[in-house]
Amino acid sequence: MISAEKKASLLGRIESLKQIPTIPAVLGPLLRYLEQPVEDLDVQKVTDMIAQDKSLAAQCLQMSNSALFGNWQKIESLRGAVVALGFQRVADIAMSCGVLRLTPTECSGIDPVVFWEHSLGCALVCRQFARKISCVDPGKAYLAGLLHDLGIIANLWALPQEFGAAFELARRERIPLHEAEQETLGFNHCDSGRLLADRWELSPELREVVSSHHSSEEPKEHAGLVAVVELSDLLCRMTRLNYGFIEAREVSLLEQRGFAVLARECKSLATFDWARLTFELDSYMDEVHALVRAIYR
Amino acid sequence: MNSAAATSSALSGVGPPDPALIRIRDLIYQVAGIFHPDTKLRLLQDRCGRRMKELATQSLQEYFEFLTVRPQRQAELIALLNEITIGETCFFRNMPQLDALRQIVIPKVLEARAKLPLRRLRIWSAGCSTGEEPYTLSILALEEATRLLKDWTVEVLATDLNERSLAHAKNAVYGSYSTRNLTPYYRQKYFSLAGDQLQVQPHVRANVNFSRLNLSDDAKMIFMKSIDVVLCCNVLIYFDLSSKRRVIQHFYNNLLPHGYLLLGHSESLYGVSDEFRLVHLPGATAYVKGERPQSGKQVP
Repeated sequence: MISAEKKASLLGRIESLKQIPTIPAVLGPLLRYLEQPVEDLDVQKVTDMIAQDKSLAAQCLQMSNSALFGNWQKIESLRGAVVALGFQRVADIAMSCGVLRLTPTECSGIDPVVFWEHSLGCALVCRQFARKISCVDPGKAYLAGLLHDLGIIANLWALPQEFGAAFELARRERIPLHEAEQETLGFNHCDSGRLLADRWELSPELREVVSSHHSSEEPKEHAGLVAVVELSDLLCRMTRLNYGFIEAREVSLLEQRGFAVLARECKSLATFDWARLTFELDSYMDEVHALVRAIYR
Repeated sequence: MNSAAATSSALSGVGPPDPALIRIRDLIYQVAGIFHPDTKLRLLQDRCGRRMKELATQSLQEYFEFLTVRPQRQAELIALLNEITIGETCFFRNMPQLDALRQIVIPKVLEARAKLPLRRLRIWSAGCSTGEEPYTLSILALEEATRLLKDWTVEVLATDLNERSLAHAKNAVYGSYSTRNLTPYYRQKYFSLAGDQLQVQPHVRANVNFSRLNLSDDAKMIFMKSIDVVLCCNVLIYFDLSSKRRVIQHFYNNLLPHGYLLLGHSESLYGVSDEFRLVHLPGATAYVKGERPQSGKQVP
């Protein structure tokens, strides 16, 4: 059992962390610009905003040519990507490329490639799940899935050794990472994530996702979005889109807190085909591996 | 641009999948419960291609019509399902499922059975074909005989409709295709050389009871009692919905209250049963006998 002083000291290190990178500067204005009604958006302006960051623009173009984003034609330019894929899709891609730079080059325990494969996989499952149940916005679900484990990034920067020990415990015992963190740090990556999300001034719904996706209590707001992330994250952890180890336990998605939340809000959940959503994960696997590895090369 | 785009386009093929192929994928899932993710679409296309060659059909759209509106559609569907599942049978076919069985399912079953006086575990390979699956289960039980299953008796029931398959199974001699997944450890410990083939050793065979059984035979199905785990892989796909429901109902009744039903890779009970509860195990899914009545979560 970890002492209260120790826990406070570890959290203090996250709060006072100075060296953590932030998401690329162009992404904040871009995401705010894309919140406007779609008829007010200008293709050239979106293209110009992304093009300010050369490396981000190049990675966006790579990802735009992936079948994961529904494209089957070769896209040669950033403008072409915006036209072919649409504003929301390009924003998703820009965000994915942007966040992949956030992990330290030397990570304790967790492999950053595997970590981002889990996050990107979770984003894709969230989007697919949201589309199927039609009561959560798929674009928001994608972003929430991509960023849900922000707390792990905070832990990697602020507490590399302590987090490394927690990760090792989870891997060795094949237990959920947040439980191992709770045991060794006295808190989990939701608590760390809340501190980082506040500092980055993320939207209220993203803050809720980052800080509540493992909470035993139901979030007061944005509970549907948090539930989509909670269930998609669990599904990924029980399949090949995990953190590099697979939890040795039996899980019933229907018994999760998130299921109860969504069952109230989404009528379609009563007849939802969970098996098919699970099998569809296989469709993403190779592409997710290829993309993340290409960006990390 | 670096290799990402090239890699992804190589993975995805040169263009979008033929819409008729997607319709065939959905048809197979709807009638047989087997799902082909995007990464397996090319395999599905190859299997359709073999049938199309036989029928001298040029397009997938026309072949889709063979499966849905032509007079022999039922027979064609079975022919395609045969192509899809051909060559599936081998020792240690679905490793994530077998690992989950060993690490999660059996310990949970033993825990539930601890309350019962008889220390006996009954695993049923329903539709065992030529015997690779039940012998694999017997090997797993022997591997755990001094640990997890110490002081337990394990009985593997293996049934199939086809007499020739059962004769092959009882003979227990296998060629290189069936034994391709065997590690040197298993080869050495549980098999003997029989010419250029491998024969399952007697102590593995001793745990397995083969018998002929038609899963649609209600009168015989009721005699399969006190089962802990049913494995029924790529068998239900050949049944129509009402027969499938009847078989699943039998499995439900045959299983003890803590029992598990394990299906083939990417096979689902969606729309077939709301009594079994889908659970996720490490890298696999399974169905657990739920308490009835359940509030209609699975059947639309």
